[in-house]
Amino acid sequence: MSDKFRYQLRQEAQKWQAEGLIDSQIYMEIAQRYQFAELEDNARNRFVMTLLGLGGVLLGLGVITLVAANWQLWSRSLRVIFLVSLFISSNTAGFYLWKSQRQGWQSFLGQTLLLFGALVLGANLGLMSQMFHLSGAVYQLYFVWGLGVLAMAYSLRMTSLGIFTTILLGIGYSLGIPELFRPGELSGLQLVIQQMPLLAVISLVPLAYWCSSRWIFGLGWILAVFSLEVNLVRQIFKFADISTLVVAVTAVMACTLVPALLWVYRGSLWKQNQAFDGIAQGLALAFLSILFYWLSFNFVWGDLETVITQLVWWDLLTFVDASIFAVFTVFAWIRFGKQGESRYWQISLSSTLVAASLIITGVLVWWHFVISEISVVAILGFNLLLFLLGLSLLRNAINLGRRSTFWNGIALLVLQLFTRMLEYNTGLVFKAVVLFICGVAIIIGGVWFERNKKV
Amino acid sequence: MINKSITSRRFFLALVFQLALISSVPAQAIYTRLAGEMIVLQTIPVDPYDFLRGYSQTLRYDISRYETLEKLSGWDTLVQQTDLEKGEGLPTDTRFYVILESPLTAETKSFPPTAWKGVAVSLKLPENLPDNQIALEAKADSGWVSYGIETYYMPEDRREEINTAIANLQSDLPFVVEVKVNPQGHSVPVSLWIQGAEYRF
Repeated sequence: MSDKFRYQLRQEAQKWQAEGLIDSQIYMEIAQRYQFAELEDNARNRFVMTLLGLGGVLLGLGVITLVAANWQLWSRSLRVIFLVSLFISSNTAGFYLWKSQRQGWQSFLGQTLLLFGALVLGANLGLMSQMFHLSGAVYQLYFVWGLGVLAMAYSLRMTSLGIFTTILLGIGYSLGIPELFRPGELSGLQLVIQQMPLLAVISLVPLAYWCSSRWIFGLGWILAVFSLEVNLVRQIFKFADISTLVVAVTAVMACTLVPALLWVYRGSLWKQNQAFDGIAQGLALAFLSILFYWLSFNFVWGDLETVITQLVWWDLLTFVDASIFAVFTVFAWIRFGKQGESRYWQISLSSTLVAASLIITGVLVWWHFVISEISVVAILGFNLLLFLLGLSLLRNAINLGRRSTFWNGIALLVLQLFTRMLEYNTGLVFKAVVLFICGVAIIIGGVWFERNKKV
Repeated sequence: MINKSITSRRFFLALVFQLALISSVPAQAIYTRLAGEMIVLQTIPVDPYDFLRGYSQTLRYDISRYETLEKLSGWDTLVQQTDLEKGEGLPTDTRFYVILESPLTAETKSFPPTAWKGVAVSLKLPENLPDNQIALEAKADSGWVSYGIETYYMPEDRREEINTAIANLQSDLPFVVEVKVNPQGHSVPVSLWIQGAEYRF
């Protein structure tokens, strides 16, 4: 019961008593029942709390401003002491507040302080390297920072820290990609960049289950998939002049490995629950959409330009993680068909379609690299695959009554039509007709979906 | 509450781990500052901005140039030892050592200090060097040789002043950097000397 209601009730009750509607006996009973006497106390407490909060914010701002004003004047040791004690105190205070109560404002404040502590960790690392004039690359700083926050996320089983570490590793990886294309010896942190696909899965997927966080799972896999693709594409360019066979195998892997793996990914493979299986399938479909869209362009099928020619031994290490993913994929498909009560290996219609489109993709890419250049066939083929993917999304959306899937399907089809229209030089009238058809199709499709969806 | 104490232990383990990470960043630099010997290097400046760590001055040294090192004794041997495809020069990321010799007047410290001169290069860390020589670890990069002392961070409000001082330099006036080098050849920059004024942050 809200204070506001009780406050209004007290006003009304006083009016009723004044008008003679109720006598003082009944008024006292109502006052007792709704505890009118407490109202003043509550209001005073809230007022005090508000003042405390406001004062706290102003105090905090004052401290920050004071520190900012004197920062340059402080000696190195004073700065180190300040930052390290800020780091320890915000983490410790945050932890005890968060632990004292798993609900309510203390827990929220505790989480905020712990997150702040993670930011202060970064400030500490950055400042340490600055004060000693270290000229290491910035991406290394992000990796070390991410590692620290990862440890805390595991230790406290805290989703916000887990998402934060995923973002840090992502930033570190993105900044470090140029390292992969630099000639020369391999340093420890370069190895981290190169092996990011495996490291991301090993460090972040268990964390996602540990924290029951869909976000960590999704972002972690995106990082793994992205880094795996960077590795494979780099490999294609590296071997372009050396071995057609290696290029073909790598290209087929780059196109099919990720969707094949994510489509059959099941938490039960790690003895975990199935909460995230849907996300993996969604990622597989998103990957296929982007892949088919990309491969349906004309220019993609031009000649490979060699960027790097010098080959070093650690280039072969990238095959290690791709191979591990491949073995895991095969294992997952075998397990996938054996689910349910049937004694035989069997898969559903949609899985069959995904498998078929992956096989077609593999064959087209292989053919193009090994047997003969089939640019025209390949472009037609991938346009057809993209179109069929859009249609099957629509079909699934209607069967399952999922509005978002429906719009994804529509968006894919419209995007394909538009892109082809812009890519190939067509007349204005034709463009007008296409726009007209797209507009009408979207309206009719949308209305029809809302009327006909089965759930 | 057993569960709670386990959580506390886990928390403090993670906190200690993070503290270890923080202190691991400057560990070698602190060691070098404590155990190292001071040398002086002649510079050539360049100037970008590193947004995570604030303003910095990017430094290049006389010995960062391949042209300087190619004249030193031992260069031809070094190239022969490392250059696998003949004629390519030193492969990128090759680690080697540059031996520097203190100027003859080093007995009496001059202000501003005089830069040390390179005398030789070697693939291995040289042992039993004379007292007036020291070995500095170097890494071959594309275009430059780097020593891990190429960045000097400075407060934003002093940066203008220092840049003006550098810009006003006549080419023959010394702009040198004092660097500490530890017995393994690792180095940290300590201070800048521009036109007789010392800048140390």
